[in-house]
Amino acid sequence: MRRSLPRQLLLGTLKLLAVLAILLWSLGPIALIVSSSFKPEGEIFAVPPRLTFQPTFQHYVSLWQHWPDFFKALGNSVIITALATVIAVFASLLAGYAYSRFRARWLAGSAFLLIVVRLIPPIVTTLPLFPVANALGLQDTHVLLAVLYATFFVSLGSFVMRAFIDQIPKEMDEAAAVDGAGRLTTLWRIIMPLAAQGMMAVAVFVAVYAWNEFLFAFVFTSTRAKTAPLVLAEVVGSFDGVEWGTLFAAATVQLLPVLLFVWITQKYLVAGLTAGATKG
Amino acid sequence: MRENFLTRFLLVAPTQAMIWAVLVVPSVYLAWLSFHSSSFGADARFVGWENYARILSDGYFWRALGNTAIVVLVVVHLELLLGLGMALLFAQGLPFRRLLIACVLAPYAVSEVAAVVMWRFLFDPDVGHVSYLLNLLGLPGLEWAVTPAHGLVLVSLLSIWMHLPFTFMILYAARLALPGEVYEAAKIDGASVWQTFRNVTLPLLMPAMLMAMLFRLIFAFRLFSEVWLLTGGGPARSTEVVAVYLYLEAFRYNAFGGAAATGWIMVVASLLMAAPYLWRLAKEQRGDA
Repeated sequence: MRRSLPRQLLLGTLKLLAVLAILLWSLGPIALIVSSSFKPEGEIFAVPPRLTFQPTFQHYVSLWQHWPDFFKALGNSVIITALATVIAVFASLLAGYAYSRFRARWLAGSAFLLIVVRLIPPIVTTLPLFPVANALGLQDTHVLLAVLYATFFVSLGSFVMRAFIDQIPKEMDEAAAVDGAGRLTTLWRIIMPLAAQGMMAVAVFVAVYAWNEFLFAFVFTSTRAKTAPLVLAEVVGSFDGVEWGTLFAAATVQLLPVLLFVWITQKYLVAGLTAGATKG
Repeated sequence: MRENFLTRFLLVAPTQAMIWAVLVVPSVYLAWLSFHSSSFGADARFVGWENYARILSDGYFWRALGNTAIVVLVVVHLELLLGLGMALLFAQGLPFRRLLIACVLAPYAVSEVAAVVMWRFLFDPDVGHVSYLLNLLGLPGLEWAVTPAHGLVLVSLLSIWMHLPFTFMILYAARLALPGEVYEAAKIDGASVWQTFRNVTLPLLMPAMLMAMLFRLIFAFRLFSEVWLLTGGGPARSTEVVAVYLYLEAFRYNAFGGAAATGWIMVVASLLMAAPYLWRLAKEQRGDA
């Protein structure tokens, strides 16, 4: 069915408009606060938003001066994110390997449990864990948050890893076994390099979650292990309607690293989403 | 054979240990707690269904539940609609597709807190750009800090913005996975664009749509940070959602029993929503073993 030229033009224009609307929706809010964080005080509120302006770092300077806590919290976020990612990736690798290579009733049961616990809302666990964390002296520590974050992604992670390891032929394991390699050696030398893509996918999920998470950080930290989103929320809370610039600077610092990370690792993110979300 | 069992066990042990320590045991303890009266420093006392009865007769609980239901239903359906439209648009083939997808994925990287900063500014009654635009069109802005309904609208917008990338990616991947032949066949049969969509695309995408919807239902139900950071549940507890209600019960009013009951209601509701999916999965797993 050949379409007439005017109709094609109309369709093309509509498509273009739709794409522009999608771009404005997705990037508009981000672009606005990032660019505004470099604008002089007066121009932040200019309507329509100015596209050209003399960039200034005054809001970053004021953030540095008034919120030294924020930069300490960024450090905490880095530590916690790294720790959570390492824990989740390796735990998922091991479990994914077991689920891919072995069959047993109890294994299937434990896999099913992984899916069921994913239905438990995080806020529900804060309640019983709060007194326990206090009793064990884990309240306000980096380790506690890292383990919590990792736990909420080992379930998805195990299934993503299983999907990736399923694609590695079993003969590779067997050949290694014939050469006298133990399970652990096989896993380390053969499986891990071939499943690196899956590990990256899991890492992206966990890292983004751990970097951005608010609820657990809010309940389980107070001073030592406070993360960046928490201090950003404090900036929002202390805010009297004048300091938008400082707020934008803080939001930009919290946001840009993870946005760049997601863009760089987009390939893995997409692969992981499709492998993990559809399977289990 | 014994060595073999040990290997398997050790492989799944780290994951299972975390799951049991953080999720399974605490959930069971929560259930126990929900039948006891307890707060910090006091001994727990068995009270039967009292906590549940108290929650279920609390007007604030029902308001929170109602708010949650409205926001979740609106958010999930709009997301599905928008995500589907975008997936079909992208599947038609667009120039710079990788770049466009990167742009669409951007909100996925944004934290709830940063998103709240953005949307608060856009809808600020005095200086917000969207408020200004609405004014220009003769429309009223969102008085989100004053009018409860407006607060919930802003919460919904924010949630859709943050989670649309997920819904879109699931549907887009599913659409790309459809075989080209069915579209060839539809073309040969002379099906119109609408007919193709109605009779080919929609039924074939249905499983993925249900899956995306289920995931989003369960996750949207947990809604906490957006509300907490935007309205704090106010004014006068009018925009609370269930998770915020639970938090306040536990950590502000020290009513651990009531909070535990709320928590169990949340767990059971989540399980019920996912019941058909779990049922199917359990059957598959049994076939697998």
